Amino acid sequence: MKITRDVVLGLYKNTGTARVDADVAASFKVGDIIQARIINPTGHTRLPRYVRGKQGRIATDHGVFKFADSLARGGGNQPQHLYSVRFDARELWGGDAKPQDCLYIDLWDDYLERAE
Amino acid sequence: MNGIHDMGGVHGYGPIDREEDEPVFHHAWEGKALALARVGLAGGHFDLDEFRHAMERIAPVQYLSISYYERWLEGTLMMLDAKGVVSAEEFQTRLDELSKSSGGGA
Repeated sequence: MKITRDVVLGLYKNTGTARVDADVAASFKVGDIIQARIINPTGHTRLPRYVRGKQGRIATDHGVFKFADSLARGGGNQPQHLYSVRFDARELWGGDAKPQDCLYIDLWDDYLERAE
Repeated sequence: MNGIHDMGGVHGYGPIDREEDEPVFHHAWEGKALALARVGLAGGHFDLDEFRHAMERIAPVQYLSISYYERWLEGTLMMLDAKGVVSAEEFQTRLDELSKSSGGGA
């Protein structure tokens, strides 16, 4: 494949989405209280250590997306729902954090479990 | 991977240096490093998440010692080697040739 200016412009315009047009059931709905799973995979994950085991609330359901952890190990798309999850800063960092601060982070279904 | 890249909440790296009128690239080679990674991705030789995981596997001391686009270059070279596109030996051979033709300068 010869890389020309038009090829590069096309790549930037037409790629970059991991959204999948697939009918996959969502495990959670907006408003659900969840806990990020405590996992320590040796491969790629987009679940940072500082949210593992912490409780948050589903703020948005973005829809179905390819799962990065799987793609990074050549395991296929494993399409699943991706959510914006809201964590209170105090849940993540303790009482020194400001009570009004929070973090929104995009997390896949496989990262989450229902809070006890 | 619980690697050096997962820096959220870690102390001791000092303040973030915010540069006035920051250029897109500080050196011409950085644009080429970005282009090389994009071509590897566009050519289907590796995907974005594999590439990210390659950068995560850079040894911790090296990871902290090199710049942003040096990490991109390292990650791309790791992927090109792993996928049989350009081996680490081929890359080193070419580096040696270029080093000689430029009078031994690095």
